[in-house]
Amino acid sequence: MKNQRGQMKIQQMAFMLITVFIFFALIGLFIISFKMTGLREQATNLQEKNTMLLLTKLAESPEFSCGESFRNTKTNCVDLDKIMALKNNINIYQNFWGVNTIEIRKIYPEIEEEILCNAQSYPNCNIIEVYSKEGAEEGIGLSNFVSLCRKNEENGISYDKCELGRIIVGYEIK
Amino acid sequence: MIIKKINSKKGALEMSFSWLFAIIVGMIILVLVIYGVNKGFQGGQVEQSALIGKEISVLLNPLETSFEAGKTSSLSLSSDTRLYNKCDNFGGFGTQYLEVSQKSFGEWVKTDFDITFSNKYIFSDNYVEGKKFYFFSKPFEFPFKVADVIYMTSASDFYCFEEFPEDMGDVEEELTTLNQENIQVGECGEENFITICFEYGSNCDINVNYNSKSVEKQGEEVYFETDALMYAAIFSEKQGYECQTRRLLQRLENLAQIYNEKESFTSSNGGCSFEIGADLNVLKSSAASVQNSGELIQLRNIVEDIKIKNNRAYCALW
Repeated sequence: MKNQRGQMKIQQMAFMLITVFIFFALIGLFIISFKMTGLREQATNLQEKNTMLLLTKLAESPEFSCGESFRNTKTNCVDLDKIMALKNNINIYQNFWGVNTIEIRKIYPEIEEEILCNAQSYPNCNIIEVYSKEGAEEGIGLSNFVSLCRKNEENGISYDKCELGRIIVGYEIK
Repeated sequence: MIIKKINSKKGALEMSFSWLFAIIVGMIILVLVIYGVNKGFQGGQVEQSALIGKEISVLLNPLETSFEAGKTSSLSLSSDTRLYNKCDNFGGFGTQYLEVSQKSFGEWVKTDFDITFSNKYIFSDNYVEGKKFYFFSKPFEFPFKVADVIYMTSASDFYCFEEFPEDMGDVEEELTTLNQENIQVGECGEENFITICFEYGSNCDINVNYNSKSVEKQGEEVYFETDALMYAAIFSEKQGYECQTRRLLQRLENLAQIYNEKESFTSSNGGCSFEIGADLNVLKSSAASVQNSGELIQLRNIVEDIKIKNNRAYCALW
């Protein structure tokens, strides 16, 4: 009888300890998941903010910017001839900007059909796929309006031709 | 009471199984809790490091647009922080690393978490320490714009620039208009400044020789071309400076290639004729052969030639 009561007490204590253990484990899990959600949200917000700033920075970076090629220094101006040269050397720029894709679209004057730019179609085209990260999905896109400038020739005279375009950057949601 | 009871019956150190069981399980729970708290704390440090790193990245982006050059940005943190600045030259552009370490219970907690960038060039001492940090940038043009280089200093380190020579152009004005609290221009006096002199003096921590384009700091000498690299040499230690300069040259090589190919696009579609292509090839191969800042001088003449040719051309390449 005394032995049975002792066993009961041990069982009670064991159950009690397991319950306490599970209770604290659940609280721990709850705290971790709460922190992880906050962290993911913070990371996504920072990534979005970073990409927005990168958009402005990209148009001013040496690989994209017009510099003083078109007489005066222009802001938010992309040199199309330079972009075509960059496209030929894009393999070395893998992971350089920390984004998934960079695309430039000519929006005015409008061309009805979508023509991808390559050595043959340039400059009579309206989409330049500048960069695409190997093995990455397209992700979310953010865009900014830019001037797209290049040198053009008419009747043997060279002149600056600037059109309206959009630079689109795709980034990954983390 | 229980022990006394047991003592009286069976002798010393004898206790019931339920007590023994409770103590063992209690200890296991305690060990698990301590382990969990420790892991959580380490995770928090990594999280904090990642967050600071991302904030720095966001903060630096506007500095890398040339129209923000000559402006100062600052980063304030709640606790004492060390930002370790590291660099390597692997791959096409090398890598910029930033490691964040914060003080906790009087000790610096280091994480293995590095924030990496391929497209940033931060010049600073091997590490900067404090609660507030200043960043300012300047475009490095050699002969075309290669990058906006960033200078990082701690608000607790005060720099004083003394006596500028006549031929230094707008450096003095540039530093004055920067309005950065830890940079002073003019008389340095007896205060606890890091003194930068342009004419050798006995009380100078850093000596800049603008004619031979060299900077002497802590007994070591590095060389520069353009004012952007002069500031870089002033604000960084030799090893970091050499590594970041090499990274800048790696980007210069790639840009020289791009401008060379741009020349053919602009010639065929824009009706322009150029005579820079061959020089750009020379610049690219010469830049690739530069191993340290002492060899930068090899590029000076070719850079000057290219600059003149581009400025004279009807269609400028940059």
